[in-house]
Amino acid sequence: MTTTLIDAPRPVVRSTGASAPALVGLEIRKSLSTRSGKSVAVAAAILAPVVVALMSLSGESLEAVRGPVGALGMVTALVLFPLGVLATAGEWSHRTVQTTFLLVPNRTSVMASKVVGVAAMGALLAGISSAITMAVLTVAPVGDPSWAGVPMAVGVSVAAGAAFAVIGAGTGAALANTPAALTGLYLTILGAMPALRIWKPEVADALDPSNAVLQLAIGNGTTGNTLTLVGWVVVTTVIGTVVTRRRAVS
Amino acid sequence: MITVNGLTKKYGERTVVDQVSFELEPGTVTGFLGPNGAGKTTTMRMMTSLVAPTAGSTVIDGKPYAELSNPGAVVGTLLDASAVHPGRTGRTHLRLLSSAVGVPASRVDEVLEMVGLSDAANRRIGGYSLGMRQRLGIAGALLADPPVLMFDEPANGLDPEGIRWMRDLLRHHAARGGTVLLSSHLLGEVEHTVDRLLVIGSGRIVADGPVASLLGGDGTTVRALDASALAADLSAAGLPVEPTSDGALIVAGAEPSQVFVVAAAGGHVLTELRPTERALEDLFFQLTTAA
Repeated sequence: MTTTLIDAPRPVVRSTGASAPALVGLEIRKSLSTRSGKSVAVAAAILAPVVVALMSLSGESLEAVRGPVGALGMVTALVLFPLGVLATAGEWSHRTVQTTFLLVPNRTSVMASKVVGVAAMGALLAGISSAITMAVLTVAPVGDPSWAGVPMAVGVSVAAGAAFAVIGAGTGAALANTPAALTGLYLTILGAMPALRIWKPEVADALDPSNAVLQLAIGNGTTGNTLTLVGWVVVTTVIGTVVTRRRAVS
Repeated sequence: MITVNGLTKKYGERTVVDQVSFELEPGTVTGFLGPNGAGKTTTMRMMTSLVAPTAGSTVIDGKPYAELSNPGAVVGTLLDASAVHPGRTGRTHLRLLSSAVGVPASRVDEVLEMVGLSDAANRRIGGYSLGMRQRLGIAGALLADPPVLMFDEPANGLDPEGIRWMRDLLRHHAARGGTVLLSSHLLGEVEHTVDRLLVIGSGRIVADGPVASLLGGDGTTVRALDASALAADLSAAGLPVEPTSDGALIVAGAEPSQVFVVAAAGGHVLTELRPTERALEDLFFQLTTAA
């Protein structure tokens, strides 16, 4: 420590709060500044291409590229839940939310920045994953498949990446507990929804966001599938924001 | 100027902070003392909008904390040194804070140097000791060189050199016109650092005033080579005398000059003569036990 306290000139300090784009940029930097955040990002980007590469080694031919791109886009979206959860619940788990709210007391602004930030990251990572997947498929020994509908599948994958990251953020904010949020989300999507599909398939069709992504990606999507995704995004974000605004930082 | 007015916090039927009011003036270091659970931390969290008060308000430079345009530039806080992500390096943590507060990235290296963490800046915070995390928290609070510093138990984990450094830092900050609110359990450290004491017990302010007036007693402490003879002369002069267990005499209500006159008249040799002062510890327990 400096043992002499001299009257150093005061630093130049911004007189106003950070702008909205600056807050979004800050949230993206926070997400990617930890090993867990980087790991999720890398996993989301390379999981689908790795799966396609491994599947292509079986030697089986593909009739169309749209199906695998869409299906793996859904898988990538599932991997992006933690990106959102870590951005919100991760702050409560590590108590960094205290510093966040001391510097930006407007919690709605903070939540909005996190939502926009993870949506952007989710979309970008899903886009990178789709691009690498398609690159693998162009060189993989899968015959001469049709590429019809691939732009739609990629577009849905990118949107799903953004949507699922936001759903993770909203759920994480609502529960303020990383393990609970992740467990809850995966049990719901991968456990409860398949079970519901057996018991009440029409209800599962309306509620299951992963099925909605799949149907949209392969061209069988309906307005209902879009509403399902939008509904999940809106409900989790609103609940997460309301709970965040009311929860004391103790 | 910080004005806290009637801050109250209730959790159901339990009142943890009860009508706390005080003002903090620039150029002062105020010690906020109280036993565990007295309401110090809750009060500080209500002041910084982390916890919504049940009643009351806090105004900093005329505005509630949440309405300050850039709170980090006005109030530097250290409320919980462990509220950091262990996976980030110290430098990354401070760079994120510097972006949020709006200071140049070069300021990060300055504060790291100030708190003695330059060598550990690129290590993950998860490997820091308690004292290092404390210093990192202080560094974060100092990024914008804000006029107000609010520290909750800042000396935790600091070695004696660190405690002395922090005391000098806070006193220097006040000397430059800054305002410091410091909550601590280390009574001895607070006594040497602060100008004013706020003592809280069971959620209520039980003492508020300059250290000298709170600790200054009413009377004189005197030691003499022949204590019993001096005691007799003092009693004969109408002054109430009470001997202590360590051989001193407490003359309640008397100025040192009065005692000296009696001692001189009797030819007594004095080895100590001073105004009676209470120890901060005694004051602390007296006030907080009564609350």
